[in-house]
Amino acid sequence: MNADELLTLARDVLSSAGEPEVELYLRVAERGCARFAIGELGQHMQLSEPQAAVRVAHGLQVAETVTTKLDREALLEAVRSTARAARLVPQVEGFPGFTRDEEPERASPVRHAQSTANATPEERVERLAPVLQAVRDAGLVGAGMLETAVVAHALATTGGCARSHDATFASYKVWALETPGAGGAAGYGGHAHRDVTALRIAEETERAVRVCRDSRDPGSLEAGTYDVVMEPEAVTELLEWLSSIAFGAPEIEQGSSPMAGRLGERITGEAIDLVEDPLSDDPELGFGAPFDREGTWRGRVPLVERGVARAVLYDRTYASRMGTTSTGSALLPSPGSAAGVGATALALGPGEAASVGELIAGVKRGLYVCRLHYVNGLLEPRRAVMTGLTRDGCFLIEDGKIARAVGNLRFTDSLLEGLARSDGMTRERKAIPTWWGDAGVVVAPAVRIRGWRFNGRSQQRPDM
Amino acid sequence: MTTEASLAAALDSLRRLPDVRYAEVRLVEGHGERLAVRGGRPEQVTAEATRGAGIRVLGSRTWGFACSADTSEASLVAAAARALQIARASSSVARTVAPFPEQPAQRGRYETRVAVDPFTIPIEQKLALLDAPARALCAGDARLVSSEAWMEWTRVRKHLVTSEGTDVTQAFTYGASGMHVFARGDDGVSQRRSYPTYQGSDGFQAGWERIAALDLPGHVDRVKDEALALLTAPLCPEGPRSLLLESSQVALQIHESCGHPTELDRALGSEISLAGGSFMQPRMLGQLRYGSPLVTIVADSTSEGGNGTFGWDDEGVPAGRRPLVDRGLFVDYLSSRETAAALGRASTGTMRAEGWNRPPIIRMINVSLDPGDAGSLEDLVAATDDGVLMATDKSWSIDDLRLNFQFSCEIAWEVKKGRRTRLLRDPCYTGITPRFWGSCDAICGPGEWRLWGLDQCGKGDPIQTMQVGHGASPARFRDVAIGSAS
Repeated sequence: MNADELLTLARDVLSSAGEPEVELYLRVAERGCARFAIGELGQHMQLSEPQAAVRVAHGLQVAETVTTKLDREALLEAVRSTARAARLVPQVEGFPGFTRDEEPERASPVRHAQSTANATPEERVERLAPVLQAVRDAGLVGAGMLETAVVAHALATTGGCARSHDATFASYKVWALETPGAGGAAGYGGHAHRDVTALRIAEETERAVRVCRDSRDPGSLEAGTYDVVMEPEAVTELLEWLSSIAFGAPEIEQGSSPMAGRLGERITGEAIDLVEDPLSDDPELGFGAPFDREGTWRGRVPLVERGVARAVLYDRTYASRMGTTSTGSALLPSPGSAAGVGATALALGPGEAASVGELIAGVKRGLYVCRLHYVNGLLEPRRAVMTGLTRDGCFLIEDGKIARAVGNLRFTDSLLEGLARSDGMTRERKAIPTWWGDAGVVVAPAVRIRGWRFNGRSQQRPDM
Repeated sequence: MTTEASLAAALDSLRRLPDVRYAEVRLVEGHGERLAVRGGRPEQVTAEATRGAGIRVLGSRTWGFACSADTSEASLVAAAARALQIARASSSVARTVAPFPEQPAQRGRYETRVAVDPFTIPIEQKLALLDAPARALCAGDARLVSSEAWMEWTRVRKHLVTSEGTDVTQAFTYGASGMHVFARGDDGVSQRRSYPTYQGSDGFQAGWERIAALDLPGHVDRVKDEALALLTAPLCPEGPRSLLLESSQVALQIHESCGHPTELDRALGSEISLAGGSFMQPRMLGQLRYGSPLVTIVADSTSEGGNGTFGWDDEGVPAGRRPLVDRGLFVDYLSSRETAAALGRASTGTMRAEGWNRPPIIRMINVSLDPGDAGSLEDLVAATDDGVLMATDKSWSIDDLRLNFQFSCEIAWEVKKGRRTRLLRDPCYTGITPRFWGSCDAICGPGEWRLWGLDQCGKGDPIQTMQVGHGASPARFRDVAIGSAS
């Protein structure tokens, strides 16, 4: 179903259900995922992801149902059962009701490419065949995934709010590996775009092969404090965690956010701008729907300006409680995870450096980090202390040049304090899809940070 | 036509084809509820429902998977055709033939043992049970700034039919409940304290009867007292020390440093995207000294009440109990029919899918540390001259081979001359997996052994979450690098 068909269904259900206060969000994603590993296309999947999120209010009493059953009768029953639950639950302080037909329709950035919508299993295989061969020809082992997806969103409320949006999403990621699963050198490449024909598949594959080759025979390096240049793939891992601990109203209310009680104060370096930018019309950086699960139009929200905490993100209920307006940041729940409030397009920078090489040239002795692995930002959220490891390429920089590959290292440091020591970012930025739903991305440049703390080494290869 | 007939029709449409070596159709339907109360108001009152079928086909060389939310015969036959189309497309570039040894047909039914059906308990009763402790956690001290209590119930029914004649039905009831409080000091720094452990590790497979045993109200005073005390506690000092871990932290240590690296798909290289590889390579089977002789870790999908308990996995392999680490020696993997065949072994029955719209992949089941003979936790403390006891995970991180890990916990106590002395805040420890488990010199006895349930173990690409279980008693590890996470 496309978005208009979903909206028609949603309106029909609302008009037939007979409940006075209902919000119905429908989302259908059809994903084709061609996953390859050990040089073979071992998992090739067509994944249907239908989802309805029904909320019914009875005054200030609110209940919700999340279901994958999108036929009319199932949705009507979901509304009825949710209405019964709403009459039994305590009141939600500050609940402002569902969105009404108050805001005019806004122009949405283009998010749809017919080439992606039309992609077949055979086409995905055809696009990947040269990749498998190229990695093999390099004497390396390939792994990764090519995804083509079509996503339709629609929202209707009994207050007359009606929204719909069609999008496509294509992404490619590739690893070139020295061994299939036993460690050793590795290189990564990846790219996301709404148009599958615009994916830089060959270029990113070459990059993965090059980094893997350069990563062979890594030397040992003691843990310690090093100046570091991180690629966008590494920076976005850190920003994704910052996003989950810092910018949502629940974390502000809870007091665990580094922004809590500090709006208007400097929390990081003067060079740092962080913005929620969901409406970017740059096809390299813009993804996702222009409205949130409550129907609020998303917009640009400057979160940190020149290092100063400026704003946080709200849904309608938290905004009502905290005396402000929603930023369009209500996140869709999914089976197994709660709804929340947060960013879907957090963006850092850009900076002024013309290239990553320019950042590296400004380092006397330090590290060039391609990616990070298993970052965790729950150590001390008020300072945004995070830990994690390097992965898929870590190199020693000496006298402004890459000297040699080194084994993976563990870091533990405060991201906000680290960014305060940043003195360089690239102009070019990259959007990296996040783990969470709603087609979220994090956008970042490559970043140079002075004095980043590495507190441990990992082994590059298993031993007995 | 019944749904069962639709499953059979989809399977029949594939079984007749010469290039189909194996096919399975898996119906999954479920419902659930997620309730959370924060600071005296409902934070989440969500019902969940799902229904659909996934179809996996092994073509002449490789696999295809497709799915449908519509379980009519026409839709499932169409999904079967899509799965086969994918398998054929992928086979065109395959250089090897995926091995897939035959499995005797299975028939039967599995169902969670439930004394009291949680879905018969009124929602208002459940919310009231959460509201009281959530309010009490924040009462009496302005530094107690935020509290939350939660409860989750999920019921899933699976029906698997395969081209080998397997026809099994399973019904699972999963639950979870707990609470936590945040205290904030004058310096603005928060401390969290949770019960029974951190959110996401408090799951089980059972009925409402588990809620009474949990007794949230009975733990409110201790939890808030500890949260407040942490605000002014000294930082955990740095240096190599004896480390004592309470049961739920041992469970997470097993999860990250034994469960994941013994997944054979990781070890062979199938999970590089997202998860990574494994330091536990096939050539090390029977050779790698993973831990001290006290360490026996068992994969057991028959454990009563475990999140990883079932009758059959999602490719029809019966549940079982097999050691992964036997008295310190690495002896087996969590495996599937295809991956085990690559090593000339039999599957250990661990293939599971998150739902109807995901293919099964190797997942942990209940991966548990056998109890030892060190008595109770207090006996272990009494037998420790100098060390730190840590409890309740706060952060976790481990490298892509599962060697270098770092965990921080909510709380710690210094242990001196056999007694808990001062409270310590922001404790953290780090290590290298085989060295760490090799330093294990005491494990508490069966009386302290508890089966914990993780609800959101993430793996696969696109990511799939899964319920997995880990049983453990508290344990002691020598010369561990500990310190402060801040």
